[in-house]
Amino acid sequence: MNLLTLVTFLPLAGALALVLVPRDEPGQHRALTLGFSLLTFVLSLGLWFGFDASASAPEFQFEQRLPWIQSLGIGYHVGLDGVALLLVMLTTALTPIVILSAWRAVEERVKEFMIALLVLETAMIGTFAALDLVLFYVFWELILVPMYLLIGIWGSQNRLYATVKFFIYTFTASVLMLLAIIYIYFHDGGTFDYVQARQALQVTPDHARWLFLAFAVAFAVKVPMFPLHTWLPDAHTEAPTAGSVILAGVLLKMGTFGFFRYALPLFPEAALQYRNVIAVLAVIGILYGALMSLVQTDMKRLVAYSSVSHLGFVMLGLVALSAEGLTGSVYQMLNHGVSTGALFLLVGMLYERRHTRLIAEYGGIAKQVPWIATAFVIVMLSSVGLPGTNGFVGEFLILSGTWLSRLGSAPVFATLGALGVILGAVYMLILVERVFFGAMRNPANRALPDLSVREGFVLVPMLVLIVVMGILPGPFLAPAKPAVDRLIGRFQQAEARLGIGPQVGTVTPSVAVRAGAQLPAPTLPIVLPTGGAH
Amino acid sequence: MPPIVASPTAAESYLWAIILFPLAGAIVNGLIGRRIGKGNVTLIALGAMVGALVVSTIAFTWALQGTVLHFRGDPWIRVAGPDGRALISIGWGLLVDRLSGTMIMVVTGVGTLIHIYSASYMSHEDDTGYARFFTYLNLFVAAMLTLVLGDTLVLTFVGWEGVGLCSYLLIGFWYTDPAKAFAGRKAFVTNRIGDFGFLVGLFALISIFGTASYGDLQAIARSLDPAAAIQVGTFAGRTYQWAITFALLGLFVGACGKSAQLPLYVWLPDAMAGPTPVSALIHAATMVTAGVYLVARNAFLFSLAPAAMATVTIVGALTALFAALIAFVQTDIKKVLAYSTVSQLGFMFIGVGVGAWWAGVLHLVTHAFFKACLFLGAGSVMHGMGDETDIRKMGGLLKKMPHTAATFGIATLAITGFVPLSGFWSKDAILGNALFSHNPAWHQVGEIAYVLGTLAALGTAFYMSRVFFLTFVGKPRTHAAEHAHESSPVMTIPLWILAILSIVATVLALPVHGQLGHLFERFVEPVFAAGTARLLAVEHLHAGEHPAWPYFAAWGVAALGTLVAWTMYAGPALEAPRKLALAFPRLYRFAYDKFRVDELYEFLVIEPLRYLAYILWRIVDVFAIDGLFVNGVARAVGAAGSMFRVAQNGDLQRYAAVMAVAAAVILWTVLGAGGR
Repeated sequence: MNLLTLVTFLPLAGALALVLVPRDEPGQHRALTLGFSLLTFVLSLGLWFGFDASASAPEFQFEQRLPWIQSLGIGYHVGLDGVALLLVMLTTALTPIVILSAWRAVEERVKEFMIALLVLETAMIGTFAALDLVLFYVFWELILVPMYLLIGIWGSQNRLYATVKFFIYTFTASVLMLLAIIYIYFHDGGTFDYVQARQALQVTPDHARWLFLAFAVAFAVKVPMFPLHTWLPDAHTEAPTAGSVILAGVLLKMGTFGFFRYALPLFPEAALQYRNVIAVLAVIGILYGALMSLVQTDMKRLVAYSSVSHLGFVMLGLVALSAEGLTGSVYQMLNHGVSTGALFLLVGMLYERRHTRLIAEYGGIAKQVPWIATAFVIVMLSSVGLPGTNGFVGEFLILSGTWLSRLGSAPVFATLGALGVILGAVYMLILVERVFFGAMRNPANRALPDLSVREGFVLVPMLVLIVVMGILPGPFLAPAKPAVDRLIGRFQQAEARLGIGPQVGTVTPSVAVRAGAQLPAPTLPIVLPTGGAH
Repeated sequence: MPPIVASPTAAESYLWAIILFPLAGAIVNGLIGRRIGKGNVTLIALGAMVGALVVSTIAFTWALQGTVLHFRGDPWIRVAGPDGRALISIGWGLLVDRLSGTMIMVVTGVGTLIHIYSASYMSHEDDTGYARFFTYLNLFVAAMLTLVLGDTLVLTFVGWEGVGLCSYLLIGFWYTDPAKAFAGRKAFVTNRIGDFGFLVGLFALISIFGTASYGDLQAIARSLDPAAAIQVGTFAGRTYQWAITFALLGLFVGACGKSAQLPLYVWLPDAMAGPTPVSALIHAATMVTAGVYLVARNAFLFSLAPAAMATVTIVGALTALFAALIAFVQTDIKKVLAYSTVSQLGFMFIGVGVGAWWAGVLHLVTHAFFKACLFLGAGSVMHGMGDETDIRKMGGLLKKMPHTAATFGIATLAITGFVPLSGFWSKDAILGNALFSHNPAWHQVGEIAYVLGTLAALGTAFYMSRVFFLTFVGKPRTHAAEHAHESSPVMTIPLWILAILSIVATVLALPVHGQLGHLFERFVEPVFAAGTARLLAVEHLHAGEHPAWPYFAAWGVAALGTLVAWTMYAGPALEAPRKLALAFPRLYRFAYDKFRVDELYEFLVIEPLRYLAYILWRIVDVFAIDGLFVNGVARAVGAAGSMFRVAQNGDLQRYAAVMAVAAAVILWTVLGAGGR
C-alpha cells in the first residue's frame, strides 16, 4: 500500500473506528484519537525520511494513481513535492498536540469533536497530497465541514456569526476556483490531472488572467490577504482552542500552498502581470495586520490579526519569485504554524483557567504562573523573529529575498515589509507586558495554577521546534529546494516565451564575489519538460 | 586533541567555547537554577564567565602575536538559486583579530568582575529571582560575544538582537513594577527601530557585494573604484560610493539605536530601571558600545563613504553635547551616569567618524573601565543608603564609604579627562584627531565636532564633579546618609580593580615616541590599515604629528569644569545652583524634564500611530469591509444564510449531503453547459 495514501486516510479510519465506540466513553475517544493521530505522525516520518530532495529525484514522490471517475477524467492521484511534504509533516505533528490540548477543554460531545478533528486531518493531508484538481477541490471543501462544526458547536458566544461569515467567505471564493478548474478541463485535453493539465493547458493570455484571478481569489481568502481577511479574527475568536490552532497552523497555509502549487505554476504569465498588485496587498497586509493588533483588547483577536501580518510576509516572499524569497515563504509557513499555533495554545490555557480572553482581565500573572510566562515569552520571541528562533530564518529570507528579487521596486517592498518587524515587536511586547508584567490587580488571578504535566507535553514540542528550526534550518530548507527551483524554472520558461528580460530569480550583485568565498559547484540543472501553454 | 595554546588551528577550533561557556551557564541556571540554591547558581554563572575569560585570553594572546584566528563554521542559513548562486550563505564563522580580541577581553573581563559584584548585590533576591538574574546575565554575555566574534554581519546581527533581548529582560527584571516593565519594552522597541536600519543596510550590502562576510566585504571593496557606476543589480545607475553610503547609513541607524545616539537615545536613561550591575555591564561597558564596534569593524567601507563618516561624526558630536546638557541638572545618580554614557558614546562616534578608529575604540575600552566603576560605585552607594538614588539626599559619604568614594573619585577624574588618567588620553585623542581631519564630503565637520566635543567635555567635567561632590563631600543631608555603611569586599574589590584599570589604561595611549608611545594605536593598526591608507589618500587624514595644543586645551577644560563644580557644590558658592534655578525657572525645568523629548515622540509618533490603527480598525475593517461588503453580501443572500442556519445543527451527515448535492449540481450544470 502506498505510504502517502495510508497517512492520508489513517485519520479517517480512526474516525470510523470512533463511531463504533459508545458515546459515554469520552476517555476512550480521547485515547483512541490521540493514538490514531500519533500513529499517523509516526508513519509520516517515513515520508520525511524517505523523501529524496536531490535535484535529480522525481518532482512528486510517493505517487499513486488510481482510476476514479474515468468518464470525466477524474483520477485518484496523489504525490508529494518538498513543500507539500513539509506541510504534511506540519499537519501530522500539530494534530496530536491539538488533541492533547483539548483533553480537558472539551467535555461535551467528545466523540463528535474527536471525529471532526480526525476528518479534518485527513482533509488537510489530502489537500496537500492531491495531484488531481477535482481531488484537490474535494479535500479543500471537505475541510469546511469539520471546521464549520468545530466553530459552530464548540465555539464561544458569537459563534453563529463567525461560522456563517467563515463559510460564506471561503465557499464563495472556492466556487470561483471550481469554475476555473472546470474551465481548465476543457482546455487541456480533457483531464483533471494536475501534472497533465500543467503541461497541456492551452488558453489565451486573456483567459489565463481570469483563471489566475479565480484561483488567486480563492487562495487569497484562505491566506487571508488584505482586504479579504475579516473572517479570520471572528473565526479565531469564536473557535475553540483546537480550532484556532488548526486554523492558524495549517488551514491558512492551504492558501499560500495553493499559490505555490496551482496559481503560480499554472499561469506564470498572468502571475508575472499581477505580482506587483499582490506584493502591494502583501505589504499592506503586513503593516495593516500589525496596526490592527496594536489596538485589540482580546488576546485571540490580537493573535489573529498578527496572522494577517505574518501571512503578508509569506505572500511577499512568494511573489518576489527569488529562490531566497520563495524558500523563506515556505519556511515562514512552517514557522507560523509552530509559533502562532503555540500562541493559540497558550492563550487557550489561560482561557481554560479564567474563561476570558480579554487582556485587561489579566496583568502581573508572571509571578503566579512562571512557566506559562516563560513559554509565552519564548513563543513571543519566535513571533517577532528574534535570531535563534525559527521566525528569524523565515523573515530574514523573505525580506532579503524580496530585496534581492527582480520584482519592480523590490527594495521599497523589502523596506516596507521590514517596518512590520518593528510593529511586530510593539504589539507582541505590549501583549506580554499587559498580561504577565506589572502588579497583579485582579484577585481572580491569585490562584491560577501553572503548567500541568499534560500542558507541558503540549508545549515542549513546540518550543523545541522553535529553537531547533532557528538554529538548524538546513534539514527543513532542503526539501523545499527542488520545488522552489522548478517553480523558478517554469517562470524562466515563461519569460522566454514572452521574450522579456529576466523577471524572476535573484539579482546579480553589483560586484562578483571573489576573494575568500568559494563558489559551490553548480548543482545539476533541473530538467523541466518544455512546452506548455501558448 | 592538540592543546589550545600550541597552534592557531587548535585555538580556532575552540573559539566557540568562548560563547558556549556562558550560553551553557544560562541554560543550566535557567532550567534548574531555582532549585539548586544561590551558591550553586553563582558557581555555575561565574564558572562560565571564568571559562570564557580563559579561552578569550588564549585567543587574545594569539592576536597579540599578530595571528588572526578565523573559524570557518558550517553553514547556518544557505539558499542557492537554480543556478547554484547563493547570495544568502551564512555560516557559523568566528573571527578574532586585534579589534574583536580587544572587545572579548573587555566583555569577559569586565563581565567577570560584574558577575562577582552581582553575587553580593543581588543576594537579597529570592532563589528564583537570583537564578533568573544570572541566567539573563550569562545569556547576555553569550549574545554580546556572538556580536563581537561573528565573522559576518548576519552573525553580528544575531548577537545584536540577542543583547537587545537580554537588555529587555534585565531592564524589566523587577517586572511587577509597571514602570520598569515599560522601560524594558521601550528599550526593545527603540532598538528594533535601529535594527530595521541595520537590516536595510545589510540587504543593501548583500546586493552590492553578494556577501555579508566582513573579510570578503573588505577584500572586494578594496578592488573597487568608488566613483564607478554600478551596471547591474539593485543599485544599477548609481555609483559605488552612493550605494555604499546608503548601506552604511542603514547600519548607522542600527548603531544609533543600540548605542543610544540622537534621535534614538531615549531608551537608555529609562534603562536604569534595571539592577545596577546590569546598568554597569550592559548599559555602560559593553552592549551600548556595539554601535561603535560596528562602525570600527567596517572601517574600510566607511573610508569609501565620506558622507557616511560625516554623518557619524556630527551625530556623535551633537549627542555628546546634548546629553551632557541634560546631565547638568539631573538629580538621580544613575540618570546622570546614563546621560553621561550617552554623551561618552557620542565621543566614541566622533572618533570612529573622523577616521581615528583606534581612538574611538580606545575610548570604548577606557570608558568600559571607568564607567563600569562609576555604576558599580553608584550601586554600592545605593546599597549603603537603602536604595536611595537622589544625590540631593546624600552628602558626606566619603567617611562612611571610603572604598566606594575613593574608586568613584578615581573614575570621576578619569572621565573628566584629568591628566594623566586614561580618559584624558582617549578622549583627547578623539578631539585632537577630529580637529585635524578634513572630511571630503564636509570639510568643517571635524572642526565642528571638535568645538561641540570640547563643550561637551567641559560639561562632563562639571556634571561628573557635581555628582561626586554632592554625593561624597560636605555634610550628610539625610538620616540615611548619616547611617550609610560601606559595602562588602565582594563589591569593593571589583571596584578597586576597575579603578586601577582606569589608571593603568593610561599606558595604552601615551603620546610619546618609542616603545611606550601609542601602544594601542599601533596594536590595532593592522585592522584599520586599509581604511587609514584610503583616508590618507583622499587627504581626509594627514600623516605626521599634530600640534600639542589641543591636549593642553583639553586639560584646561577639564580643570575648569571641575573647578566650577567645586565652587558651586563644595566650595564658596553653595547657594549658586539654587539661585540659578530660581533665576531661570523655565530653562531649569526644561532641562530637568530632559528637554521633553519623550513627550515630543509621544506626540509625534506614538499617539498618531495608535489613533491611525484605531481609526483603520473601526473604519476599514469594521465599517467598510465587514459592514458594507461582507454583511451586505450576507444580507443579499439572506436565504442562503438561513439555509446555513438550518444546516448548522451538528448533523454531520446532513451537512455533507447538502455539500455533495450542491457540488454535483454545479458540476453537472457547468459540464452540461460546456457542450459535452
